[in-house]
Amino acid sequence: MSECKVDEYNVCGVLVHAHNNQIDQLKKLLEQQDGVEVHAVTDNGRLVVTVEHDRRKTVGDRIMGFYELPGVLSAAMIYQYSDNDLDVEELETKNINSSELETSKERMSA
Amino acid sequence: MSQPVNNTSKMSRRDFVKTNAIAATATAAGITIPGIKETLAASQNVSADKIRWDKAPCRFCGTGCSVLVGTQNGKIVATQGDPDAPVNKGLNCIKGYFLSKIMYGKDRLTKPLLRKTNGKYDKEGEFTEVSWDEAFDLMAVKWKEAMKNDMAANVGKPADKLTSTVGMFGSGQWTIFEGYAASKLMKAGFRSNHIDPNARHCMASAVGAFMRGFGSDEPMGCYDDLEHADAFVLWGSNMAEMHPILWTRITDTRLTKPGCEVHVLSTFEHRCFDLGDNNMVFTPQTDMAILNYIANYIIQNKAYDQNFIDKHINFKKTPTDIGYGLRPEHELEKKKTGTGGKLSTISFEEYAKSVEEYTLDYAHEISGVPKANLLRLAKLYADPTKKITSLWTMGFNQHTRGVWVNGLMYNVHLLTGKISQPGNGPFSLTGQPSACGTAREVGTFSHRLPADYVVKKKEHRDLAEKIWELPEGTIPGKPGYHAVLQNRMLKDSKLNVYWVMCNNNVQAAANLNEETMPGYRNPDNFIVTSDPYPTVTAMASDLILPTAMWTEKEGAYGNAERRTQFWRQQVNAPGESRSDLWQLMEFSKRFKVEDVWPADLIAKSPQYKGKTLFNVLFENGFVNQFKQQTVTDDRGNEYANDEMEAFGFYPQKGLFEEYRRFQQEGPKKGHEQAPFDVYHKVRGLRWPVINGKETLWRYAEGYDPYVKKGEGIRFYGNKDGRANIITAPYEPAAESPDKEYDLWLSTGRVLEHWHSGTMTRRVPELYRAFPDAVVFMHPDDAKKRGLRRGMTAKIISRRGEVECMVETRGRNRPPVGLVFVPWFDAGRLINKVTLDATDPLSKETDYKKCAIKIEKVV
Repeated sequence: MSECKVDEYNVCGVLVHAHNNQIDQLKKLLEQQDGVEVHAVTDNGRLVVTVEHDRRKTVGDRIMGFYELPGVLSAAMIYQYSDNDLDVEELETKNINSSELETSKERMSA
Repeated sequence: MSQPVNNTSKMSRRDFVKTNAIAATATAAGITIPGIKETLAASQNVSADKIRWDKAPCRFCGTGCSVLVGTQNGKIVATQGDPDAPVNKGLNCIKGYFLSKIMYGKDRLTKPLLRKTNGKYDKEGEFTEVSWDEAFDLMAVKWKEAMKNDMAANVGKPADKLTSTVGMFGSGQWTIFEGYAASKLMKAGFRSNHIDPNARHCMASAVGAFMRGFGSDEPMGCYDDLEHADAFVLWGSNMAEMHPILWTRITDTRLTKPGCEVHVLSTFEHRCFDLGDNNMVFTPQTDMAILNYIANYIIQNKAYDQNFIDKHINFKKTPTDIGYGLRPEHELEKKKTGTGGKLSTISFEEYAKSVEEYTLDYAHEISGVPKANLLRLAKLYADPTKKITSLWTMGFNQHTRGVWVNGLMYNVHLLTGKISQPGNGPFSLTGQPSACGTAREVGTFSHRLPADYVVKKKEHRDLAEKIWELPEGTIPGKPGYHAVLQNRMLKDSKLNVYWVMCNNNVQAAANLNEETMPGYRNPDNFIVTSDPYPTVTAMASDLILPTAMWTEKEGAYGNAERRTQFWRQQVNAPGESRSDLWQLMEFSKRFKVEDVWPADLIAKSPQYKGKTLFNVLFENGFVNQFKQQTVTDDRGNEYANDEMEAFGFYPQKGLFEEYRRFQQEGPKKGHEQAPFDVYHKVRGLRWPVINGKETLWRYAEGYDPYVKKGEGIRFYGNKDGRANIITAPYEPAAESPDKEYDLWLSTGRVLEHWHSGTMTRRVPELYRAFPDAVVFMHPDDAKKRGLRRGMTAKIISRRGEVECMVETRGRNRPPVGLVFVPWFDAGRLINKVTLDATDPLSKETDYKKCAIKIEKVV
């Protein structure tokens, strides 16, 4: 089992579906990624994958990246664990609603 | 393949959870990995943790996945796909994975905020913290003033002529209880039908077509079709991104079932095309021509099911050239020659004649889809040995001919009898978690009452007034303002007090500059928005009320396959935020019936004299009959229920049980749900639920208890038990590209964000993954305008403009002549650009088609 050297630990099981003729290549691409392991491949296109990660490369970022890999048809999470769930990362949300609304109001009053 | 560790004595907690992850995923893949079970069994003692797990339906889309919600120290800390849930079988999409973070955005609202200057309400003032009392006091003053004017204007008028200046914009994300309470407060209490849900923007066309075709709303099939079908056809639905778990199920069927095929139709290439066996990009609006071509092909090749048609079908036609649901003074509205949707009966021969012009040549010419692809699609539908599930979402519904095009899809399935059978059926998917359960079923639309009843029909109002114990004539008989009309009426000062709950319509409604914003900022109007976050809608309002969300309250949702799912309150809402249910019920205490009803109405029920609307609507002896109790699960955990605590009875239970009376005491059958307590124990049930048993395929003998032995199929929503095939021609879009505005604009969603991004943009991982909206366009279209990937483009329509970064690669690949912009981004409001053209029948906006031009930003 691969070592996870940071203080927190996150793991997620991912069921990946892929076209049969692309599975070998996809398996290689997946396994090249840090913290990604392919535990089984069925003969009808299912891959049993786990993703372990540290703080910097979250499991979410990794799995969203799966969609960009050639051959991936779907990727669904099946088991998630994080021993750092309580440490909710806070996003600076000040800019989520930008000045767009203001410009609309200005345009209206103009 | 790496082996799980089997040295259990040294097994760490991390090894254990990883082994768990492998085992669960292997189970989902249908295989066993040697040694895993033993490893897990030997290490159960490592798994002890202090997290409490309980089920809840996901907060996002209409799929209705069940998740296990992990709570620790009063906070949601994790979510898992629920292995016992039939919908998602333990799977979870990327948004579902981050559910635990949606309630903890830094800018969560915790106190009511009122615009004030020098300590007094001022529409142009700054948002200032106020108490709930001050907020509700001012609201009540404004509401009473409006209703005083309404009562004066309505003197001597019959129920079907009543007018109102009171409005509410609700939600397909409201819980069932909230939607029901809101509808009752508006239609019975305030006597206004100007309540509409945001589901008007997404499901109204589907509702219209179900009612016209079958006399009863919602799909006949269910998600089990995703394993039973031999072929799937996607019509205007990017399920790979918008319904990822259902897409996983389809993918699995496609890869594992011999001969299974997937056909994808869209106006641009997207991720579903990766799985597609027959991919078709068509010119916007020509889906109607393609569907009529398929019907024509089936007729020409005698592939229709004569026996099925003889027994179960009526043929109808609909008025044509009916306009585009714009303001009456709009040029397009003046040109129309037809109106409405009144059906007239035709013969099979007349129907056949009506689709005769839709030949392969014509369908190809108008749609741009190669003939071979169209022919393959038509042959699939015509093949009696293939079980086909057709799926669609906004591509059909957000369409100026949305009701028609939904109906044209039904025509194809009805001609061939491929309906109401496992694997065979047209399936309208939904975008919101309770578009079906709340918006549609409890009657929050401006024309509806609970359980498919409508305000227009006196006997339906009579039923509601009987169940609600109201004096005759309380409920107004004229349908109220629908979503798009509400914004127009706010602008025109015909709606003056307006409560927005559980949606972000300033970001959603088309034509922001010309309609929405002038309406919200109109000095004649007082606008209140209830939301957990300061959305653009909240910021455009005069008063913001902080709202409890998702598992901060007890709730219930109904998904796209008629499945009703409940959840318990898991945590407390932050600060002074309160659920929409509490807000609606508490606000009703501020009105005496004398404030809102005329003396002649009260005289019919003198027992209500001096009573509050709370007394009449909620403390009515029925809703409040369920006493305060402790909410527990079967493991002995106890849960809070803040509304029960506040009102001294179990309001969710009372409201649900009262709502069920509509399903049982009226003439319409087939909407029955189980008693309240059942739903807290099960992973949802699909209605109609009869004698505790759910219904998988409606209208079909052997599945639906309302279909008698020997009938086979009975479309009992219609009196004669028959479904309607309704012919309708291709008609052009409201606005098509021309010389100046030379591109089509289509809008929609992306995987990472849900709707306007209020929740998902506050999850750091999802925000990072797709921070800003981009304009997806063909590289040739970019080049022609001096643009390259990563440069900023200005998207300009006749109504407004917005700037976005150009994306010429990636998940969406539009053809030359069309661009796609997602609408989740409050920093790039694409609804300044979109057109508020609607389907004149369903009143749903077409967000998929308008004409724009693109310029380089220098």
